[in-house]
Amino acid sequence: MAKLDQFENMYDVGSKPPMLRNLIRHYLPAANHPRDLNTSCFELPKLVSVLQTHRLLSESDSHSVDPKLINAWKSAVDDWLGCLLSLLSSDMSDKCWVGICLLGVTCQECSNQRFLTSYSVWLDNLLSHIQPPSDSQLVKIASCTSLSDLLTRLARFFEVKKDANSLAGKLIQPVLKLLNEDNVEAVWEGAASLLYTLITFFPASIHHSYDKVEAAIASKILSGKFSTITLKKLGYCLALLPKSKGDKDSWSLMMQKILISINDHLNEAFQGVEEEAKYDEARRLLVTPGKDLPSPLGGHTSLEGGSYNRTSSERLPTATISTLMFCCCKMLTSSYPVQVSAPVRSILALVERLLRVDGSLPPTMLPFMTSLQRELMCSELPVLHAYSLELLIAVIKGMRRQLLPHSAYVVRVVTRYFKICALPELRIKLYSVIRMLLLSMGVGMAIYLAPDVIDNAFSDLNSPAGEDFEISPANTGPALLQPSNRKRKHGTKTGSMEKQGASPKVGESNTHQTTPITVKIAAVDSLELLLTVGAASKSDSWRSSIDSLLLRTAINSCKRGWGNVENNVFLPHEPASVWADFQLSSLRALLASFLAPARVRPPYLSQGLELFRRGKQEAGTTLAQFCGYALFSLEVLIHPRALPLDDFHPAYHNPTDGASNRFPENTYSGSQKQNSLFLSAAQRTEEGAIKSHDDDLYNKWLENENNAFKDMRDTSRPNDSSLANVLEVSEQEPAAANADLHMRGEDEIVVQPRRLEEPIPKSQEIVSANADTSRPAVGTNLEGGQIESKKVLSASDRLNDIDHDMLSGVDKANFDTVGRKTSSTLPNVEKGSSSMTHLESESSMDSFPNIVDADPDTDSDSD
Amino acid sequence: MNVVIASSSIDGGIGCWDLQTGAEQLRYKTCASPPHGLASIGSSFLACSQLRDPSATSGHVLYWSWSKPQAQVKSFPAEPIKPIAANSEGSYIVGGGSSGDIYFWEVATGRLLKKWHAHYRAVTCLVFSEDDSLLISGSEDGCVRVWSLFMIFDDVRQQQASHLYEYSFTEHTLRVTDIAMGYGGGNAIIVSASEDRTCKVWSLSRGRLLRNVVFPSIIDAIAIDSGEHVFYAGGRDGKIYIAALNAESSPSNNYGLHIIGSLTDQSKPVTCMAYSAEGNLLLSGSEDGMIRVWDMKTKNIVRMFRHSKGPVNNILIVRLSYPLNRSESKVQASSRRHEFSLHPPLEKYANSSDEDIDNKTIITLPDTIDLPSYLSSQLINDHIKQLQQQGSSAAAEMEVKRLKLDGQRSMEMFQQLKKVYDNLQEFCVNELLDGQPMDGSKGN
Repeated sequence: MAKLDQFENMYDVGSKPPMLRNLIRHYLPAANHPRDLNTSCFELPKLVSVLQTHRLLSESDSHSVDPKLINAWKSAVDDWLGCLLSLLSSDMSDKCWVGICLLGVTCQECSNQRFLTSYSVWLDNLLSHIQPPSDSQLVKIASCTSLSDLLTRLARFFEVKKDANSLAGKLIQPVLKLLNEDNVEAVWEGAASLLYTLITFFPASIHHSYDKVEAAIASKILSGKFSTITLKKLGYCLALLPKSKGDKDSWSLMMQKILISINDHLNEAFQGVEEEAKYDEARRLLVTPGKDLPSPLGGHTSLEGGSYNRTSSERLPTATISTLMFCCCKMLTSSYPVQVSAPVRSILALVERLLRVDGSLPPTMLPFMTSLQRELMCSELPVLHAYSLELLIAVIKGMRRQLLPHSAYVVRVVTRYFKICALPELRIKLYSVIRMLLLSMGVGMAIYLAPDVIDNAFSDLNSPAGEDFEISPANTGPALLQPSNRKRKHGTKTGSMEKQGASPKVGESNTHQTTPITVKIAAVDSLELLLTVGAASKSDSWRSSIDSLLLRTAINSCKRGWGNVENNVFLPHEPASVWADFQLSSLRALLASFLAPARVRPPYLSQGLELFRRGKQEAGTTLAQFCGYALFSLEVLIHPRALPLDDFHPAYHNPTDGASNRFPENTYSGSQKQNSLFLSAAQRTEEGAIKSHDDDLYNKWLENENNAFKDMRDTSRPNDSSLANVLEVSEQEPAAANADLHMRGEDEIVVQPRRLEEPIPKSQEIVSANADTSRPAVGTNLEGGQIESKKVLSASDRLNDIDHDMLSGVDKANFDTVGRKTSSTLPNVEKGSSSMTHLESESSMDSFPNIVDADPDTDSDSD
Repeated sequence: MNVVIASSSIDGGIGCWDLQTGAEQLRYKTCASPPHGLASIGSSFLACSQLRDPSATSGHVLYWSWSKPQAQVKSFPAEPIKPIAANSEGSYIVGGGSSGDIYFWEVATGRLLKKWHAHYRAVTCLVFSEDDSLLISGSEDGCVRVWSLFMIFDDVRQQQASHLYEYSFTEHTLRVTDIAMGYGGGNAIIVSASEDRTCKVWSLSRGRLLRNVVFPSIIDAIAIDSGEHVFYAGGRDGKIYIAALNAESSPSNNYGLHIIGSLTDQSKPVTCMAYSAEGNLLLSGSEDGMIRVWDMKTKNIVRMFRHSKGPVNNILIVRLSYPLNRSESKVQASSRRHEFSLHPPLEKYANSSDEDIDNKTIITLPDTIDLPSYLSSQLINDHIKQLQQQGSSAAAEMEVKRLKLDGQRSMEMFQQLKKVYDNLQEFCVNELLDGQPMDGSKGN
C-alpha cells in the first residue's frame, strides 16, 4: 500500500497497477481455495466494468513513459494472467469458468504486444476446455465465447495471418464435435457463434471441412426442434459457409440446395391444400431439366433428417422451413467476394407459392387433410408468410436495381397479397416491402405502385385504432376539420372519387374492425415515402385526398396529448412509446405532404403549422426536435426564394386542371400542347409582364387571400368558367393542324432544306427587342384574362390558318416560335399577320447557314 | 480521382486526363465514336459505340478496361447503335438504334433483355434519370420521350396501356442533339437541345414544356449547373451560351430572352460539354480537337487538353475510386484489386432459349459489414444473471457440481471414518477374542 500515496487522482497512470492488484486480491477466487464461489462470482460484472473503464490491462499510456511504472504495471498484469491460468487449470468447473470468461475479456483488453506473444498459449488452454474431458456446459460455452473473442482480436493483425489461419484450422474439429456429439442446445449456440467468427475472419480455415460443417449444421436445422434463436444462429453460419470457398459456384450450389430443401418440405406440408402442379413448377425452376440434381443439403435427404418424420403428420416443419428461408435472406444480403448468379425466379416463385396458401382447399381437390391438420397448419401459416415477406425484402435489397426485369412480377405478388392480408404483423411487413420497392426502384415504380399503396393506407388509417377509441374519425375535432372537408367537396372530382372508391374497401380488405397503431404507423410511413419519391409524377388524382387524410391523421394523433418516449422505465412496452412513434410518423408524413411538389399551395398549411408549433413546445423530446425542423423547412414554403422557371404557368395552372381530368396526362399529343402553348404564352403576358420575377406560390398567396383558391379550383368544372370553355374550343380546333403535323412527321426534315433557299437577312436581336418593347403595353392594357386569352386564341387560330395556307412548309419550330413571339409581340391579329414575315424570316435565317451539315441523314453518314 | 475522358468521331482513341492535375493518363486505342456514344459503365469500364463505315449496316460496341489501352470486348448489335448509356450501378446498358429502336442489355450476361420501338427515326441521345428508373430518349424526328423502365418490363400493364412511354414531347421540330436532366427525382427538369435552334425545358412531373429558349445558333451540347441556376448551351457558332433556369434574366440582352451571357474563345463549334460540380468547372469539347476547362466563377479557361485533330464529340467526367496511374506496376496492382472481369459481349437478339440463365441474375451482393464483436463481458453478465436466478438450469448445474464434490468429499470422509471404525472394531474383536479364547470356543 506504499504506492497509494504516489498518485494524485483517478486519472493518474500510477493508480492502475495497484488497482489491478487490488482486483486480483479481492475478486479473483484463489485456485486452491475450496469454496468462495458465491462471494466472488456475482461480483464479476463489477470487476469487468472496472477493468474496462480504467483500461487496467492496456499496459500503456500516452502520458507516462516512466520505466518503473511500466514495469510495475507489467508485473501486475503478469500476476493477473498467472492467476487466470491457474484458475483455468482448476478442476472445479466454477473456477475454471471464471478464468475462461476473464481470459476472454483479457483478449479484448490487453496490449497488442502481450496479445501477440501469448495468444497461442491462451488458445491451446481454451481449446482443451471444449474437448471431451470437460463436461460442464457452462465451461464449454464460455470457452467458445472466449475463443471467439480471441479470434476477433487476432483477425486485426495482418502480420500473423498465416499462423492465425492454421490455428483457426485447429478449432474446426473440436467445434464440429461439439455440434455433432453434444446434446445441450446452449452449447450449440456457443459453438455456432464461434463458427460464425471463424467463417467471417478465417474463411480459408473451413475450406477442408466444408462438407462436414455443412452436414453438421444442416442436420440441426432439419431436425427443427430447437429454439428460434439457436436455429437462426446456425442458419446464419450455413448462409456464410460458401464464403470459405469464395467462388461463384459454391454460393449458387448452396442456394440451390436450400431452395430444394424448402420446396421438399413444402410439398410434404401443403399436400392437400395445393394443387400438384405447383410442385412440378417449383421443381422445374430450381433444377434445369437435363442437369443433375445437387446432393441434398448436408448430405441428408431433407425429409429424413432428425425427428421430422415423427411429427410430420401432426404439424408443419415450420421451424425448419423458416430457418432455411432465413438462410436465403442472409445469403442475399451478406457480402460475397465475387459476383454470383442468383436464382431470382425460383426465389420469387417460392415466395408467391407460400403467400398463395391460406389454408383454404382448392376447389378441385378432394379433402385430404383432417380438420385438425388444417387447423394446425393455419396456426403456423402466418409465421411462414412473415418469412416469405422477409425473403422478398432480402431479394429487393440484394438485387437492387437489377430487380428491374422482375419488378412487375414482384408488384403483382405484393398487391395481390395486400388484398387478402389481414393480420397486423403481416401488413406491417407488407408495408415495409412497399417501402423497399419505392426506395430501390424510384419514381418509375412509384407511378404504378401509388394506387395500391393509397387504397390500403386509406383503409388502414380510416379504421378506428384498436388501442384507443378516441382517435376514431367520428371523434375528430369538428372545428379543425370542417374547413378541410368543405374544401374537399369543392375540390377536384378525382379527390372525392378517390374517397368513394376507397371507403367500400375498408370493409372487405380489413376483416378486423380496428387497426392496431403499429399498422397505422407503417401505413403513414409508406405514404410519407410515396410522397417523397413519387408525389411529383402523375399524382393529381390522389394528391388532394392524401393531403387531407394525412392532416386528419396528424390531428388525431396529437389530440390525446404528446406521447412520451423516455418515461417508460417500468414497462418496456408501454403504449406511450408506440403512441409517440405514431405521432412522429404522422407529423413526418404531414411535413412530406407540405413539401412534396404540387401544383397548388398546400391547402392545410395553417393547420399543419399550428400542429408543429404546438409540438415544438414539448422541449427535449424527439418530437419537438422534429417539429422544430419541420417549421424550419416550411419557412422556405412560406417565403419562397426560387424564381419560377415556368414561362407558361398560368394557362396550365387554371384551365388545364380541368383539361387534365378530361385528358389523361400522358395522352397529350404534340399539337394539343402547342395549342395550349399559345394560350399559356398569351396569359403569361398578362401577369408575367407585370411581375415576371415573382414566385407563383407568392402570387397565389396574394391573389387567393380571400379563398380564391377554392374559386380557382371551381374553374375546373366544365360549366362555369369561360376560360375552360375557351380551352375546349382550343382543343377541338387544332385537330386539323394536329393531323397535318403528324403526317408531316416523317418528311418534315426532308422538306426543310428546300425552304432554306429563301434568303432572308434579318437579325433576331431586332425581333426580340421588338418583343420586349411591346410587352409592357400588353401588360398594361389588360384587365380580364378571359377576354384577352380569347383574343389571343383567335389570333392563334388565325395563325394556324395562316400556317396551313401560306406556310405549308413551316416546321414545328417555326410554329412554336411564331406562337411565342406572337403572344408577346402581338396582342391582336392585325399585328400578328403583319409581323409574320419577320418571325418567319428570323427563324429560317438562323437555320440557314448550318442546316446543310445538320441534316440528320447526311450527318449520320458523315460520321 | 476525377478523370476526364473524351472521344472523337475520327479515330483518335479515348483520351483520359486527371481533372485536378491535368496529367494525361492512358489513351484507349481505336475508337471513333458518334455523339453520345461513350459511356462509363458503373465506373468499372468504358464502353463506346463505333461507327467506322457509314455505309455499313451494322456498327459495333467496344469495351475497354481502365487499365488496358486495347479494346477487350467487341459486340455486334443487330443494327448500328449510336447513343449508349448505362445506369449508375453499371448493371444495364441501353443503346439507341438507327431504326428508332432502343436496346436494353444486361451487362453481366450480355443478354438483350428488351428491345422496343421508341421513335420513328434514329435515336440520338439517351439519358437515365437520377434514380435510374426512367429513361429519356431523343430522336432525329425531334421527339423526346420519357420511359419508365418498370413499364418496359411489365408485359401485363403494357397490354392495358395505349402506349409505352410516360411522356412524349413533340415540340422540337428537328433532330434532338442533346438532353440533360436536372436534380429532383420525379420533379426534375429535362433540358433538350435541337437543331431547330432552341433549347426547351420540360417538367418531368407535369409532362409539359416549361420554357423555350431560342438561340442564335444551333445548340449541340448542354450542361446543367448543379444548382440549376443556369444551363450552358454550346453552339455551332463556337460560343457557349448561359441560359437562365432559376436565374434572373433581364429582358434586354444581346442574345435573346433568357440568355444571360456567353463564353467565347474564338473557337470552332462546341460539340460536347460536361459540368463538374466539384470545382464548378465546365468542360467543352470543340471541333478543333481541344477540350477547354472553364472555371465558371471567373468565366476563364483554366486548362486545355488536346485530344486529336478531329472534332471531340464526347466528354465524360468519371469518378474513379482508385488512382489510374500510368506506371505499369501500379496499374497492375490496381487492376488486380478491382478485377476487370471480362464481360460477355452484348447479344444481338433476345433469345430466351436457355431457360436456366433466364431464371438467374448475376448480381454483386451488397457490401454489408457485419463483423462479430467481443462477447465475453456480455457472456459474464448473462451467466451471472442465470446463476442468480436460482431456478435456472445453469445454476442448478453449478449447485449439483458443488454438491457432487461435497458429496464426494463426504464420501471419502465416510470411507475414512468407516475404515477407522472397522479397524477399531477389528481390533476390539481381536482383543476380545484374544482375551477369552476359551469362552469363545466354548460358546461357539
